[in-house]
Amino acid sequence: MEEIKLNQTPVRTSRNYNINNIKLKDIKIPKEIGNFESLEMKGKTSLVEKVTSLGNMELKYGVGVINKPNMNLQINIAETIEEPLELDFMLNEQNRNLVENIVINASKGIQATVILKYETVEDIQGFHNGILKVNADKNAKIDIVLINLVNEQTNNFLSIENVLEEQSNVKYTVVDFGGKNSITNYYSNIKGQKADSTINTIYLGKDNQLFDINYIGELWGKQSNLDIDVQGAIKDNARKHFKGTIDFKRGCKKATGNENEYCTILSDTAKSIALPMLLCEEEDVEGNHATSAGKIGEKELFYIMSRGFELKEALKLMLRAKFNKVLENIPVEELKEQIITEMETRLD
Amino acid sequence: MSKTQIEDINRNIYDIKNKDEYDYKIQKGLTKEIIEELSKQKQDPDWMRELRLKALDVYNKLELPTWGPDLSELNMDEIATYVRPKTKMSNNWDDVPDDIKETFDKLGIPEAEKTSLAGVGAQYDSEVVYHSMKEELIKQGVIYTDMETAVHEYPELVKEHFMKCVPVHDHKFVALHGAVWSGGSFVYVPKGVKVDIPLQSYFRLNSPESGQFEHTLIIVDEGASLHFIEGCSAPKYNKVNLHAGCVELYVKENSYLRYSTIENWSKNMLNLNTKKAIVGKNAQVDWVSGSFGSKISMLYPMSILNGEGSKTEFTGISFAGKGQNLDNGFKVVHNAKNTSSVVNAKSISKDGGTCTYRSLVRISENAKNSKSVVSCESLMLDDISKSDTIPVNDIRTDEVEFSHEAKIGKISDKTIFYLMSRGMSEEDAKAMIVRGFAYPISKELPVEYAVEMNNLINLELEGAIG
Repeated sequence: MEEIKLNQTPVRTSRNYNINNIKLKDIKIPKEIGNFESLEMKGKTSLVEKVTSLGNMELKYGVGVINKPNMNLQINIAETIEEPLELDFMLNEQNRNLVENIVINASKGIQATVILKYETVEDIQGFHNGILKVNADKNAKIDIVLINLVNEQTNNFLSIENVLEEQSNVKYTVVDFGGKNSITNYYSNIKGQKADSTINTIYLGKDNQLFDINYIGELWGKQSNLDIDVQGAIKDNARKHFKGTIDFKRGCKKATGNENEYCTILSDTAKSIALPMLLCEEEDVEGNHATSAGKIGEKELFYIMSRGFELKEALKLMLRAKFNKVLENIPVEELKEQIITEMETRLD
Repeated sequence: MSKTQIEDINRNIYDIKNKDEYDYKIQKGLTKEIIEELSKQKQDPDWMRELRLKALDVYNKLELPTWGPDLSELNMDEIATYVRPKTKMSNNWDDVPDDIKETFDKLGIPEAEKTSLAGVGAQYDSEVVYHSMKEELIKQGVIYTDMETAVHEYPELVKEHFMKCVPVHDHKFVALHGAVWSGGSFVYVPKGVKVDIPLQSYFRLNSPESGQFEHTLIIVDEGASLHFIEGCSAPKYNKVNLHAGCVELYVKENSYLRYSTIENWSKNMLNLNTKKAIVGKNAQVDWVSGSFGSKISMLYPMSILNGEGSKTEFTGISFAGKGQNLDNGFKVVHNAKNTSSVVNAKSISKDGGTCTYRSLVRISENAKNSKSVVSCESLMLDDISKSDTIPVNDIRTDEVEFSHEAKIGKISDKTIFYLMSRGMSEEDAKAMIVRGFAYPISKELPVEYAVEMNNLINLELEGAIG
């Protein structure tokens, strides 16, 4: 199997830093993907339309390694929906390979929450390669919750592309725990005036997992905003590459962009690389980024342990606190509990 | 609020051109024959000639960088890599030819030597034309001489260190440097000697369509200390000039080195310089860097913290104006326990200029209990300029405290309004804010350079309200 290069950054830096892209060797990409029929849905499921084609699914960035999908879903949201729309993709023996294309069109002024969950429910070597496109019309407010709980034998690729019109608001809450190699790409074209794009992510890597996260936001609209917040932890031999780009385009006057990434390192063999980029060709903007890495503070651990907790429990509590900003955004209690249980299992 | 029309920099003294007179100018281009001829002209020992030829071979094999500014206009066939001025190296300013001496006079070098320096080296095109140091330092065993003299007079010391810190295969322009280097300074500070007053080398490139490839090698032995200042400038020509110098610093156990640079090359210069320091146990190297000139600059000084408890600080500012693309930054590798690094980088872009801060912080597996704090701030003075921040943070151990923060923005309207309400004009208010922005860097510079930097900022911001 030849090497594949994915997740290119918008601007290159020295090749020696090993961050311009991710090279995967000997990765098993299925030749025949077959059908995928293991999808459970809740909420206003009538909005979800299975179609034969979604038209042009080309991506500006993106990590697609297989072009032909085995599922095309179109979700046109013309009215506000109160209850979240949930789609649960469950990979199993009969449905090992999921290559789905999803387009969500949020009409003017609507409000909606869509939850997409990916999990392996049997002990299989699965494969996931998805594309999600979200088009938010004027004043639309859409929350997307993405949960990746596939197992560590499954390769996970996901590309997200958003287009934000005037005063629209697209907010992502991402839980990225699963995958042997989890390669995710997020690109937001924030073109409308006062449009607001947010992504809050937590990741938790263990064993030999590799996370390659490439988030890019282009700010074109006046007074538009982009917030990227990524909190994660890696243990054992896990590796995490985070690439975040805030790109202020000429004309995006009074736009703001903030990016924050914190990686908690739980072993001396785990590795974290971060490349938080700020690109700017407009004077009248405010951009900030901050990244940090390190272990959990000894003082804080000592304090919790002095209250009667064991080290492992204290660690879990501390991480739970760090992850809480994302967890509290998950609108379904049952799902939240499942994530917390998964988190605790992973930290044991 | 009306906008300040920002004029291009008045480079006054830096743009004084002398007649292109020389004793010897090598044929343009880069071939084995040219390198052999250069080596012969410089009377290299055999090992140096071999190093040059090996470097040429590496140069021919390596690609241009696939990142950073576009270097396609660089054509080595149009560059003369060696220009020997019509004078020999001297330790007396009176022996330096009048036109060359006048240039250095205008740059204030002899005056600075009298008032605030312990030693001065002055390079004109490819050769050092003046070198001198205070008598008491000579008595203490300090060596400060031009690189060619060092190759012949201190062969063991030079051979042990030359292009060992920066090997020729590091990148294409280091290989080029290895093949064609000429001039530069050699400093050795013996064990325990503290050189309290700075040494300064000034590099001036006068000849058009030529390159300057000086090599600076500094060894600060155990427990010693030194402040070294490097200045560079050139007049502007229509065709490209190239600077591919190399700085190698060996900062041994318990020693201290501060390396300050004010780079003010002309705006037809491609400045592709390489600087690296290897830092020993409990030693410290501090870099202070002001980057104002050049058409394109790619400069990322690097500290390799190999000794336990070693430290480094980088304080730098870049100021890119019309037609300039300054791609600068800093690299640090933490390779031992209890090491620390502090980075404070600032940039100002105006009038269509591009500033990029590009960096690497690597904390290796064996660098337990290390700390690194990085801060970079970018100021945009108009909406036709560009400013990018591209930092790589590579953390390979858990026992570490690492943080990086960056900010980008313009001068706050509120602050300008406040200052104007106190009776200042808009231009004065802006100039004051920019000086304040640059102050954390300018306060680290030797006083005459801090004054020069403030003057540059004033010149840059002078202009009519449009």
